[in-house]
Amino acid sequence: MRAKMSARSIIKFTVDAFKVVIRNFIKPERITIYYPYERLEYGAVRGWIGLHVEKCTSCMMCARVCPANAIKMYLAPDGKRRPGIDYGRCIMCHFCIDTCPADALYSTEIKDLAFYSYDSMVFTPDREKEPPRVEELRKPVEVIVDYVRGTPRKLKVARS
Amino acid sequence: MVRVESYGLVLREEGSGERRVLEIFWGPQHPSSGHTRFIVEVEGDIVVNVTPDPGYVHRTMEKLGETRHWIQNIPLFERISLPDAINVTWAYVMAIEKLLGLDVPKRAQYLRVIMAELSRISTHLYDLGIHSIMIGSSTGYMWAFGLRELLVHLWAMVTGSRTTPTWILPGGARTAPPDAFYTKTKEYLNYLEKKIDEFVTVVIKNPVGYYRLRDVGYLSREDAARYMATGPGARGSGIDWDARRDYKYGAYGEFEWSVCVEDGGDSLARTLVRICEIKQSARIIRQALEKVPRDGPLVGDALLGKMPPKLREMASRRVKLTALFLMRLPPAEAVGVTEGGRGRFLFHVLGDGTERPHRVRITTPSWQNLRAMIKAFIGSRLMDLPAIYGSFGYFPPEQDR
Amino acid sequence: MNATPEAIAQLIQSALLSPRVWFFAVMLVASSAVLLLAVWFERKAAARVQMRVGPYHASPRLGGLLQLVADALKFIISEPIVHRGAFRILFTWGPPIFITLAFGASLLLPLTPDLRLIRDPGLLPYGLVFSLALLLLVSISVVIIGWSANNRFAYIGAAREALLVAAYEVPLLLSFLAMVILYGTLNPLEIVAKQYALVGAVMNPLAFLAFMTAVAMATARFPFEIADYEGDVATGPYSDYGGVFLVLSFAGGTYYAAFSYSFLASLLFLGGWSLPGFSAGPWPQDMLGHLMLSAWVFVKVAALMFFLVFLRAVMPVLRLDHALALGWRGLLVMSVLSLAWSVALRLAGAAP
Repeated sequence: MRAKMSARSIIKFTVDAFKVVIRNFIKPERITIYYPYERLEYGAVRGWIGLHVEKCTSCMMCARVCPANAIKMYLAPDGKRRPGIDYGRCIMCHFCIDTCPADALYSTEIKDLAFYSYDSMVFTPDREKEPPRVEELRKPVEVIVDYVRGTPRKLKVARS
Repeated sequence: MVRVESYGLVLREEGSGERRVLEIFWGPQHPSSGHTRFIVEVEGDIVVNVTPDPGYVHRTMEKLGETRHWIQNIPLFERISLPDAINVTWAYVMAIEKLLGLDVPKRAQYLRVIMAELSRISTHLYDLGIHSIMIGSSTGYMWAFGLRELLVHLWAMVTGSRTTPTWILPGGARTAPPDAFYTKTKEYLNYLEKKIDEFVTVVIKNPVGYYRLRDVGYLSREDAARYMATGPGARGSGIDWDARRDYKYGAYGEFEWSVCVEDGGDSLARTLVRICEIKQSARIIRQALEKVPRDGPLVGDALLGKMPPKLREMASRRVKLTALFLMRLPPAEAVGVTEGGRGRFLFHVLGDGTERPHRVRITTPSWQNLRAMIKAFIGSRLMDLPAIYGSFGYFPPEQDR
Repeated sequence: MNATPEAIAQLIQSALLSPRVWFFAVMLVASSAVLLLAVWFERKAAARVQMRVGPYHASPRLGGLLQLVADALKFIISEPIVHRGAFRILFTWGPPIFITLAFGASLLLPLTPDLRLIRDPGLLPYGLVFSLALLLLVSISVVIIGWSANNRFAYIGAAREALLVAAYEVPLLLSFLAMVILYGTLNPLEIVAKQYALVGAVMNPLAFLAFMTAVAMATARFPFEIADYEGDVATGPYSDYGGVFLVLSFAGGTYYAAFSYSFLASLLFLGGWSLPGFSAGPWPQDMLGHLMLSAWVFVKVAALMFFLVFLRAVMPVLRLDHALALGWRGLLVMSVLSLAWSVALRLAGAAP
């Protein structure tokens, strides 16, 4: 198809393009997720990072491996230092979780993080202990995108 | 040089009035220029000179790479080109592997090939989409990005992140894909091939799109070699070079596939190379999905030996970084080369006995293609500018590093 | 003149029943409705093809139909900026001129036999010619806009528009002429009456094709979105416009031009209000019949506009020189052939 198109092939290819577009118009293959009402279920994603305070040995590996310098060690009253994460800097690479020798840090499925102020983005070890309360105006429908007879479809998942 | 100022335009007159040139500042705030600027001089409708003004997204990657632990560089360097995240980090990790003497098990080799080919498809879809909207076809744009959306779902299954995988580690890979990944990837590839054919019908074979691309931005074979074009920019001009075949890194030697080369040298040839490479990538992924062992450690013996037994058992599902974090780069140098979607990525890492690299030298394909692209710009019409720009898959963040 | 209550009541009654007032009201309301539907269809149809949904959240029940209203409100209440260096007078007057010409052209045509602005039947032929002349002047206002903005992208866009005008104007006029020769009259009432059995698009399909392609060029529809091609000249002549200026020129004005062209084409090629087996009585008595006929006209106009906007989903943008070549070679030859076909039909006595 390098050559100059003949008049016949110009008409043919124009008609072909119209055919494909009209077929897609009649049978749309859309996978749009209506976000606040629906939410895509990815499975195990790298989400908000939690801390088991009792497991932490204050080795500071997490703070040293963090590529974005998001982790700061806070001095606790018992003399130990524990990590707190600044989510304004965190890039969710989870290097800290994978480096922790004591499995004190763990991943959650909370991936939509939005904050009212800069201060609330900085999680001290006290706030890092348990997942933040997720404020949702309405419960979104969990959906996945799967292939039904070769085309992607948006399917609802029954959430237990 | 005389400046003639009349209402509505500023003309520059060269010589004794025989050439009247209008200068256009194309970018960085322009719908289709991306984060870069081209100072385009047009005479009538013909582009007579283009001066690139890059650097708007320079993030000092090389210098930053010297100031931090080598493992922290993996998430950093992947941001050179997020659509091509796996191939970028693979090149860096390859250099680190050579420095640290780490081996890669078969399972990780195949998984890396699968992910790297998905990364190539992702880059090609990104470029084809941007190219389509540049020549005015919003349908091609949306289809390419819709397909890429399905692809990042696959990435999210394996790595836990849509666009920033941070997945390749020296010695292997970070997480094992779930079982659903294998079937879903096959279904995705089937759908991709069907949809790419429709894309070709609507955008490339469509006479309007065809004439936008054909005989536009011609780059001869000699020029492509002289200006060191790479990736589709070189293969579209008939240069048969592909790092995957010529260096046989990873497991690429074990698959049946062919390098896509077109002789046209114009935008159409480069676009056809992209389409062809998507199909070849699908072919490679299908073979790799058959061959990949479903179980076994994700990292090589050299690294496993340094892990405590508990983590060694875990290493078939996910790899802890503790052992890697304690490694220091020896005072030596190593080079990693991969073939990314847009061309050759080269990382040259010099260690100096500390955990920080002494120097990281990076070569990215868009920077290499820039001069070839300028060569292709000159002599074209003003409306061809986006058609040529898109055909090289030029990506300013990758160029500026 | 004594203003007795009876006289005032009679005046009001005659004003309420005046075909001119009704024509004006119907045109204003119906053109807005057709435009709203056409823009909605443009967005939703393209979205449907392109694996997405399109406007939704502005009115979920109506499928995002009111998104355009929201957009227009947003534009109208935003500050109209006239930048330093612009030629102030033409820059601010360009958009009103644009939309006046674009919409005014359709007011010179009759909607039904009685609903019309030009009351004198002898003047109707002039109305037809004059509306085409007004529509061709729209491109002049584009050039005015592009020149006055003092911006290189706008300047290049205006130059492209000027080149394109030369390419589509002649085929447009020739295909118009072909239909006039075919009907042997310029009077729109007679033109529509002669399409009672067979519409013009069937009698002279070449003229229809040439006319619609030229219309796509004139109203900057795909694949001829060249003057305001996003790829290299941002939005071309309209680069510096915002707020209400943008509504009057690029975001609304071009659609009004497309509406007027489609209205003209529906009279010339699609048989206007002629509905087999149905005809309206005299005006004030058979008001419902006339309104039905005008609705039938708007169905045709909407169909033409839907086709024009659907091209967005199919086509990339043609290059300037190819578009000019298409205009000067393809369309010109096609319209000359259509002219010859009309003449042949007339000479053979097969013309209506």
